[in-house]
Amino acid sequence: MKEISHYGPSLCSKFHEKLVYVGYGSSIHVYDYHTGDIINECNIFHRNKVHHIRICTAGYALICGMKSFSVVKLDDLMSCSEVLNNERVIAECIISGEFSYECTQLYLLTCYNEVMVIDFQGKIISRNSVYGERSLLYSGSIKVMSKDEVYVNAGTVMGGVLIWNLFTAHMMHNLVGHIGSIFHVTLSDDGGFVASCSDDRSIRLWDFKTGSELSIGWGHTARIWQLKFFNDNKNLISISEDCTCRVWSISTHSEAKIELVQRNVFEVHLTKNAWSIDVHDGDMIAVSTGNDGRIKLTDLQLASRHGDEQECFSVQDISRSTGTKFENGEIIKGFQWYEFGLVAVTSLGNILTYTTNNGWRFQMNNTKFISYCYVNGVSDENVAVFSNNSGHIMMLKFNDDAEDVIAKSEYHASELSKTNNCMVCKYGSSHFLILLESPNPKDVFLCLIVNSATLAIEEKIPYSKPHNFSSSCVEVYQDNVLVGSRYSTLAIYSLKSGSNPYVVRRINPGDTTTSIKYIETVGGKAIFSVTNRDGYYNFIKINFNLDLHEQDTPVTVIHSNKIVRGFLEHAYMDSSGDYIIHGFKSNLFYIYNETKGYEITSEACGGAHRQWRLSSTSDGWILVYIKASNIFFRRFHKRAIPETLRDGIHGREIRDIAIKKDKMYNKGYLFCTGSEDTSIKLCHFAKDSGRVTTFWTQRKHVSGLQRCAFINEDLFISSSAREELLLWEVDTESLERPFMNLRQVLPTSTTNPDLRIMDFSVQFIENNVGFILAAVYSDSAIKAWFFDMRNSTFHLLLDGKYETCCMLNVCLVQYQENLYVVTTPTDGHLVFYNISNCIPFKIKNQSVELISDEVQILSSALPNFDLKLPVHQSGIKALAHAIDSSGRLKFYTGGDDNAIGICTMTIEESTGKIEGHISAFKPNGAASTITSCGLIDQGKFLVTTSVDQLVKVWDISKDKISLEKSQYVTVADTGSSDSITTEDGSTTLLIGGVGLSIFQVPCE
Amino acid sequence: MGKSSKDKRDLYYRKAKEEGYRARSAFKLLQLNDQFHFLDDPNLKRVVDLCAAPGSWSQVLSRKLFEGQKDVEGRKIVAVDLQKMSPIDHVTTIQADITHPKTLNRILELFGNEKADFVCSDGAPDVTGLHDLDEYIQQQLIMSALQLTCCVLKRNGTFIAKIFRGRDIDMLYSQLGYLFDKIVCAKPRSSRGTSMEAFIVCLSYNPPQDWEPKLDINQSTEQFFEKIPSLNGISELSIDDQSHTKAQLPSWSLEERSIAEFMSCGGLDSFDSDATYHIDADDSRQRESLDPVQSPTNPPYKEALELKRRGKLTRAI
Repeated sequence: MKEISHYGPSLCSKFHEKLVYVGYGSSIHVYDYHTGDIINECNIFHRNKVHHIRICTAGYALICGMKSFSVVKLDDLMSCSEVLNNERVIAECIISGEFSYECTQLYLLTCYNEVMVIDFQGKIISRNSVYGERSLLYSGSIKVMSKDEVYVNAGTVMGGVLIWNLFTAHMMHNLVGHIGSIFHVTLSDDGGFVASCSDDRSIRLWDFKTGSELSIGWGHTARIWQLKFFNDNKNLISISEDCTCRVWSISTHSEAKIELVQRNVFEVHLTKNAWSIDVHDGDMIAVSTGNDGRIKLTDLQLASRHGDEQECFSVQDISRSTGTKFENGEIIKGFQWYEFGLVAVTSLGNILTYTTNNGWRFQMNNTKFISYCYVNGVSDENVAVFSNNSGHIMMLKFNDDAEDVIAKSEYHASELSKTNNCMVCKYGSSHFLILLESPNPKDVFLCLIVNSATLAIEEKIPYSKPHNFSSSCVEVYQDNVLVGSRYSTLAIYSLKSGSNPYVVRRINPGDTTTSIKYIETVGGKAIFSVTNRDGYYNFIKINFNLDLHEQDTPVTVIHSNKIVRGFLEHAYMDSSGDYIIHGFKSNLFYIYNETKGYEITSEACGGAHRQWRLSSTSDGWILVYIKASNIFFRRFHKRAIPETLRDGIHGREIRDIAIKKDKMYNKGYLFCTGSEDTSIKLCHFAKDSGRVTTFWTQRKHVSGLQRCAFINEDLFISSSAREELLLWEVDTESLERPFMNLRQVLPTSTTNPDLRIMDFSVQFIENNVGFILAAVYSDSAIKAWFFDMRNSTFHLLLDGKYETCCMLNVCLVQYQENLYVVTTPTDGHLVFYNISNCIPFKIKNQSVELISDEVQILSSALPNFDLKLPVHQSGIKALAHAIDSSGRLKFYTGGDDNAIGICTMTIEESTGKIEGHISAFKPNGAASTITSCGLIDQGKFLVTTSVDQLVKVWDISKDKISLEKSQYVTVADTGSSDSITTEDGSTTLLIGGVGLSIFQVPCE
Repeated sequence: MGKSSKDKRDLYYRKAKEEGYRARSAFKLLQLNDQFHFLDDPNLKRVVDLCAAPGSWSQVLSRKLFEGQKDVEGRKIVAVDLQKMSPIDHVTTIQADITHPKTLNRILELFGNEKADFVCSDGAPDVTGLHDLDEYIQQQLIMSALQLTCCVLKRNGTFIAKIFRGRDIDMLYSQLGYLFDKIVCAKPRSSRGTSMEAFIVCLSYNPPQDWEPKLDINQSTEQFFEKIPSLNGISELSIDDQSHTKAQLPSWSLEERSIAEFMSCGGLDSFDSDATYHIDADDSRQRESLDPVQSPTNPPYKEALELKRRGKLTRAI
């Protein structure tokens, strides 16, 4: 068994020259952070995770983790796959380590506030501590100032920070002020300041000489784990459980008051816990790591690196530079960005341009556009379109430096009684469309086809307007115009035939459609992304090969989701296939990578209620917005360094893993993970490398996931607390990315559900008319449902309760013309219900069929159980079953009692009742709870995972349980697994918990 | 979550309030006792509750040892915690550090220099979310409790403590096996199945005959147990020579490990802490939500919460 990849908590990171060294599980990853390339992965410890890395100028790294440490040459870190022979252990946990001034010795600070001085060969030279100060530490650091000046900074569990001299063992300060455990303490390089943080969520800055408290920094909303001085000790950076890193300035302008002021906040990790931070002073780049396994690079000069990021002009500034006098109260009413710069109009119809080289310039005045004017355009044609509320349009085409207007045209749309929206969109290579809408529902929806070179209107199409329609965005695909509207509605017009649109209503629960974007064409159908201001986004598939009106379902929704929070204004796929969205949350404008789950940039523009426009530039984006009557240009340059060095997975425990096993996808398999963080991720792993790619993070669940499973080649079910059970449809037609749409939600028993759906199981009905779903609940309820595929509805078949204890697992098992609901409650029993005669289906030996086409759905009570077999002392956490070669039904169980059991079942001929016995039982299958099990290699072996972080393979042939293989796994809270055996006989095993590990098990 | 919805989700939480216990963990000790009956022994006299705050185990000890008991002569309960505890009948509370020799002396003083029959600890550290560190700190807490226990517990006495059943739990089982005749891992039904929590029940304290345990605040737990090498995989390094120096640190090897017998406690008819119970709507006593017996203590981040409530911890700067 070999681990081929791992994604999980990373606890430390360290820049050194042009590389970054990151502790990842029990290994160190070395990256070139400029290119994002991984140089090497080197396994450091047998079991312990890497908690600390120090690097000395002599070319060595000191690596510590719990009781282990290792001194490794940097050359070896960059070339060896493992250096396990270097691992040495001490008796206590190492809180921090450091090299001596001359790099000849090591200092190891233990959790009992003792420093061991050790040589590189692992010989103890001395053990130093302060008499009477041996209380437990959660944190600490060692600062080497010179050959004989070394300070130990120790953070106790009771709010005190102890600073002592290593060589004199003299306690210099006991810094008191924090409440709760100290989680980090560090001394600045110049020996001026001490910074500390604790459970009280504050950062405290202390004077190292006097020990007096200088300033308190509040801001983090959860525990802070690490602090780092940078920029010549003028700044401090902190990283926290709230998943942000924050930059603080240490203002020393006034001698009297030294203050810690929060300067910047970066959201860097997912859900919960970020552990480490380091800064490259030369490049002003921070690296951070967290529980989500992501290695994130943050540009600490996000708004100042290029110098042109921020520009702001007041009306007076513009007036001065154009030499035009503006009236009192005259403001900018609309604008459009071009390669040369900006075209804008004021509330008095003054049309202005701005170019980087020549600044502001007055172009003309047009009184038609006084007070109401909407500005649009076609950026790559240098065309601007001005429109007012009475149907007047003016089009201007500029030359490339905006010096001259090279074409101009005006038009009055007399077809419309009034206009309240004008949208412009490029059409083919030489035309663009202008769409004009009137608030009067009787008016047409007017489409003008305009020649981009001459600005001549070549065609006018008076489209009919659907009822309840208010246009908000547009996309052109071939000869089709897709118009988004309020009420989450979409109208599709053809530029070639007819004026009646094909209308799709209520795509999602939101209101205003904010963008429609063509993504790709798959199987002759075009896929579009559709966003909604309320945060929903969908992907739809449209068949344009036939007239839309002549098809039953020309438009299908293949993906549905919602963003984390805030307003969603636009989305597109970038060149690497990541879904990039932008919008507002409270007073921030944000750009976010939805695929990978991180914020790319943000701007505190004041919020959504303002004139604003985001345009792409050759080097990124520019956001133009108005705030307090001033116009702001905010340039977001493409980053020279990668956003991440490794994309992680969930920020919290993975509760279940399901591999989509029916077919391979891009040299690997798709799989889903359900997490305590309430999300489901749809991912892919490559079979050879184990490399994981996340496509989507589904956020429909509002509570922590319990179970998830693919039930056939395109349906997937997930369940969680609050009685949530969701049926999803997965679309894998595109090889660029799969899609996943919510198809139906299981009805709940009350309006305010509070039960957990612990597990579910399905049995398909012949001819794919539907399936039976058995679900078990935390209040001992057992329910069976029929899902009718024809109308996508769940019908309750059976409802009952076992006792009062929580149910942990369920499976529907068809055995000899009987259908059983088999459950495992927390009382350690296997309980069998024969439901064959209580459901309106015919149970045959190999299939379940409808009795008649018309299903008579009458829900009835769950029958009494046939059998209750005591197997474990307490909850059966893991359950698998199979029918063996001699036709006996077998159940494999793993329990909270550390035991593994095999039960063999038969049907007693005289009574027709199921009977069984424990045919094998292993009391100490693990040192802790067995959390998952699965059969591999055609049922010859059983794989178990347990909380003691061991994965075991058991030979279960011939009714015995004998250990074949045992492998330590770095994933803590090991709780879920799934496996797939491929044609070559090898098995790939996915293990989930706090992180994800992928193992390759060769065939026997 | 409001207190009534917590009542519904967690029946032990409600039951604790009904029965006047300061925390639901009282039922864990009661259920351990249902299995092992250590508190029903008429000869049980001197009992120590370590890491006792807020005091629900001391409440159980007090009720079991004193309420309705005829012969309470010589019975004494001492509860120790760093935190202050509200008084409990028949319990002497000491606010002190369990690793300090003075604490040991005070306990022995209260016991009239006689040894204890039973020591328990339900203590747990602040959990960081780093599983390896959290489990290690928990084991250090147990080792600290064990040090004191070794000095205070009579031969054949009982020690029980909360454990996290994580990756190194088998190492702890193995170590405790050198001091007690029987080690059981007990999981009461009132401890959630989804939690790593369980209790180590160490029966018949049986230390090496010639070993005289001695608390010293300048000693680590490793040094305390260094005369019992099997209990301390790496202790040989510090006894290499008198000066404790020039010893070679060993390479990594897998520590001795063993798996203790598992025992589920509390009986299958007791409430299941993982289940959701429906509160009977007709029973007005059940419907009414109860206030906790003792309000939660102030968390260290109280001031941060207050600042957040006042909108001072926003992202905008």
